[in-house]
Amino acid sequence: MTPRYGVAIGWRPEIAGYVAGLPGLRFTEVVAESLHLHDPLPDGLRTLVERGVAVIPHGVKLSLGGAEPVDDARAAHLAECAAALGAPMVSEHIAFVRAGGLEAGHLLPVPRTREAVDAIVANVRRTQSALGGVPLALEPIAALFDWPDAELTEAEFLTEILDRTGCELLLDIANVYANARNRGEDPLVLLDALPLERIAYVHVAGGMEHEGYYHDTHTDALSEPVLDLVKELCARTAPPALMLERDGDYPPAADLTRELDAIATAAGWPAIT
Amino acid sequence: MSDLADRQRALVAALVAGEDVPDGFDSAAVLATTAALRRKRAGEVARAWPFLAASHGAAWPRVFAAWAAGRPPNGSLRDGWDFARSLGADLPELARPELAAREARLVYDGRSAPVPRGRVGSWLRRLRSAHGSRAG
Repeated sequence: MTPRYGVAIGWRPEIAGYVAGLPGLRFTEVVAESLHLHDPLPDGLRTLVERGVAVIPHGVKLSLGGAEPVDDARAAHLAECAAALGAPMVSEHIAFVRAGGLEAGHLLPVPRTREAVDAIVANVRRTQSALGGVPLALEPIAALFDWPDAELTEAEFLTEILDRTGCELLLDIANVYANARNRGEDPLVLLDALPLERIAYVHVAGGMEHEGYYHDTHTDALSEPVLDLVKELCARTAPPALMLERDGDYPPAADLTRELDAIATAAGWPAIT
Repeated sequence: MSDLADRQRALVAALVAGEDVPDGFDSAAVLATTAALRRKRAGEVARAWPFLAASHGAAWPRVFAAWAAGRPPNGSLRDGWDFARSLGADLPELARPELAAREARLVYDGRSAPVPRGRVGSWLRRLRSAHGSRAG
């Protein structure tokens, strides 16, 4: 079947030329915090917007999972990015990145408790009111550890947050693999427990095994188990987009093309390269 | 402060400020995360400071991670700057022009975000000292 957007890749300045040259690209993402809206949009990104490619601002520093209220300036920036890009939606993570004045520099897991659900719902609602109607998709993260006192399973926790906020799911299929693998569980069991009917779009990324853990690095090649999970996902539902995320150690263009084509093959979708 | 806020702060402090792993967590997994965060930080600093990283060759992630242990991240610009200054006379030759160029263009007091030299910068510095701000 033909997906709404198809296979995609996240826009990053380092690979802007490659992304702009993809003939079938209809969807991409830009890290919201990397856009400085007092400057014009980067040329490569502006060209994509003009071509009608959906460009989704993807926040990484709102800290929606923090006990502290989300910073209104950060929420406003996300809204301004959506306006500048004409974006049909924005996205952020179910995670926290700072606490008590300390920056983690990374997305950290929140405890799967009712107290944390309440904190996230309050922060998501605050962000939604800044967004003024632009839909917000929420992405569960990958982590090497869980908090000790979970009251809910990952799937219950996520479903409750989505139910209470009306948000759609940004499913990162590599995170599903990473979390299940690092808990010693079957990724398919976790996949089947998730609310797949609420997927806004999907992230796909590479990672590496290191000292007994699977690290979701976005700087390594896509692995076969993650591609297998793409195949399993697409046998269960038809997500609008499958987007490759690469965030450093950028490989030659031919390698990115091979990865995008492998995603298309796993999904049974047309190649965009 | 809520219980959640305290517990989140304790976890971040364990990950980036060298404090103990809070009770109940899988210490090995938290420490593996700490190591992964330092590698990620080394990669980010290498993008902001390519000559500094290149001057350490393949040892860069290890050298930077050793320095970063127990130092909370302040963003790759400041992290690289602090690391480069910490080397003093041992800063490799290859990395010196990069640091000199930044020192010439920006004023960095080692505590708050660098500001441009010149009129805008001096206005920002006055504003900051008036407000006692150390925000990064």
